[in-house]
Amino acid sequence: MAYFHLPVCISPQNSFPEVDLYQIRESKNNLLEVMEPAYPGIPAAARRRMGKSVRMAVGAALPILEKFPQPDGIIIATANGGMEDCIKFLNQIVEYNEGLLTPANFVQSTSNAAASQIALVTKNHNYNITHVHRGLAFENALMDTMMLLKENKDAGYLLGSTDVISAYNYNIDRNAGCFRDELILNTHLFQSKAKGTIPGEGAFMVMMNNQKMGASAGLNSVKTIHSIDPLTILKTLEKFLSENFMPGEWPDLLLTGEDGDERLLPYIDIVESSMDKCVPVARFKHFCGDYCTASSFACWISMQIFETGTIPELLIKKRGATKPVRKILIYNNFRGAQHAFILVSAV
Amino acid sequence: MGLISAIGDSVEENRISLQHGRSGIGDIQFYQTAHAGKLPSAEVKYSTEELNKKIFGRRNPTITRTSLLALHAAGEAIEDSGLTKEAIHSPDTALVGATTVGGMCLTDELYHDANAKGGGTPYLSSYDYASVTMAMQERFGISGEISTINTACSSSANSILYGARLIRHGFARRVIVGGAESLAKFTINGFNALNILSSKPCAPFDRDRSGLNLGEGAAFLVLEREEDLKGKKSYAILSGFGNKNDAYHPSSNSPEGLGPFLSMKEALESSGLNERDINYINAHGTGTENNDETESRAMIRLFEKVPPFSSTKSFTGHTLGAAGAVEAVYSILSLVHQELYPSLSFQNPIPETGLIPVLQFIKKPMQHIMSNSFGFGGNCSTLIFSKT
Repeated sequence: MAYFHLPVCISPQNSFPEVDLYQIRESKNNLLEVMEPAYPGIPAAARRRMGKSVRMAVGAALPILEKFPQPDGIIIATANGGMEDCIKFLNQIVEYNEGLLTPANFVQSTSNAAASQIALVTKNHNYNITHVHRGLAFENALMDTMMLLKENKDAGYLLGSTDVISAYNYNIDRNAGCFRDELILNTHLFQSKAKGTIPGEGAFMVMMNNQKMGASAGLNSVKTIHSIDPLTILKTLEKFLSENFMPGEWPDLLLTGEDGDERLLPYIDIVESSMDKCVPVARFKHFCGDYCTASSFACWISMQIFETGTIPELLIKKRGATKPVRKILIYNNFRGAQHAFILVSAV
Repeated sequence: MGLISAIGDSVEENRISLQHGRSGIGDIQFYQTAHAGKLPSAEVKYSTEELNKKIFGRRNPTITRTSLLALHAAGEAIEDSGLTKEAIHSPDTALVGATTVGGMCLTDELYHDANAKGGGTPYLSSYDYASVTMAMQERFGISGEISTINTACSSSANSILYGARLIRHGFARRVIVGGAESLAKFTINGFNALNILSSKPCAPFDRDRSGLNLGEGAAFLVLEREEDLKGKKSYAILSGFGNKNDAYHPSSNSPEGLGPFLSMKEALESSGLNERDINYINAHGTGTENNDETESRAMIRLFEKVPPFSSTKSFTGHTLGAAGAVEAVYSILSLVHQELYPSLSFQNPIPETGLIPVLQFIKKPMQHIMSNSFGFGGNCSTLIFSKT
């Protein structure tokens, strides 16, 4: 088992530096945007040069790097990192008809900007990678880190994710029918049945190693699947459960990526109904919105649940047996085609 | 193995071009850009419509050129592997793709969609990096683990080493790994703004080199566990790899090439080989001032006597996210056929380093070959292939 240490999350909710999950910040104009901290650790000049996704990633990583200054690798997940700079550069190309352009936006537009900035500011020469596989980028980063920790038992890795709502990916996804047309609050996301969700964003960083002592949670297992067939998801889940639980044993909580889009309900329903009736169900996307690496927010929430020993009321969809939450099964679904199961446990 | 590049639309065609010193670098014919005719590039010699016809037999209005190149190369690799449909569809088969431009080759459509200038084009879900891998997943019916990696110009070297690790850790029995890239206004203008595109065919490791030429293409390879081979043909063993970061500057290597040195060193260590065992290096060799000198310094530091090396980017241009996989295929061809492909356009060595690449097609007995890929953001990766 791999262990999470010092989780940091910059999110649309009160998650950094102080955590308060008993209040929910409301979305504005159907967007759940992060509350960016002041980032005292990033020099002002460097901060101004960074795009938001890089700034959030570096800002979330710094408190961890103070305690673990030289991780043995930096593993970042981001599907849209650099998109803002990318489109700024693209707009220059089109508007100046490929004339003389400044390269700054181009250099910052690459997805590996966050991983490389963290390496650069800490002079870290170790393993460095960026997973960008849309709704499963974070799961791939988790798997990568699990493999690294089997390869190098005494090592520690900085794992993280960052994705932002930019005017650009918002426009593209809105046109693709991903978002609600009507004005809606995140607090009412699950009260009406309609197509579309509300977009969100966030950055998550954590130190991962094989040390149980002092850990915020353990990472048992990750499984991903591409399919649009709910029955395939069910079969995948059944196999995942049989590999990770004794017969008759269940997770203490199912945490799903239900996002208010009625098109995802067949998948959510089949996963929920395959659980024993005593398993409580919670959801998280009304807190963080929908974005490619939102399952990292679910991991962070799980660590908060383990730490406090309670499930924040606002997350609960269905109550179950009142027993301590030791194992949380996260089921995330990104736009119907990309599914992930992540099992995390209290230490 | 499967490969499409400016020098051929199959592995065999690529090999013939390499043997005969036929470069694919020239004027841009198909892609619409103001720089066509001014900045030589290595374009795949088919229009997007022709690629569609080759693969689907018809126009397919939602698929990008990058995805088409990926489908073409992966299709060849899958056929070449002799794997059954059942094996390809099995949850034991993983797929790891890589690209740095994804569907952003469609500059005008992306401009329209990203700035919400009217209703959406058919490409709304085809711009991101994952769209290329997703197109492959759908086309070939992959049900195992899937990732897409973007570490700039080392992306597909990382997809290969990540795929190997998925097998090592039991997440897959076989993995389709590689990368795809197409020419894009985005990269043409980006590299041009950085003043690193040459107005002549690139001259890797030459004293008077004046930059790189962009290229496009895709290469995919099928990796399998040794225990599953059971007498099947296999081309080579992936015997070692390194992934390190230069941590010096967002868009250039440290003067001494520390990242490249560390990455080659790690690859050697992981393979259990000695530096004297390496018979050839397929260098990153982009033809830029910075890369070729720093890569040379790193090679000199690691090797007591630098082995024969060349840059096949003088044939294919720099195919960015596909380069690691394209050059992995070339390295493996060199091993299988015991032959070396030259660096083109070289005249004089860099005075400070004095290294001279392989300048002619030669036959040579070889056991182990190293392939380098270095990218923006300091991402350096090295692969070592060994003869079966």
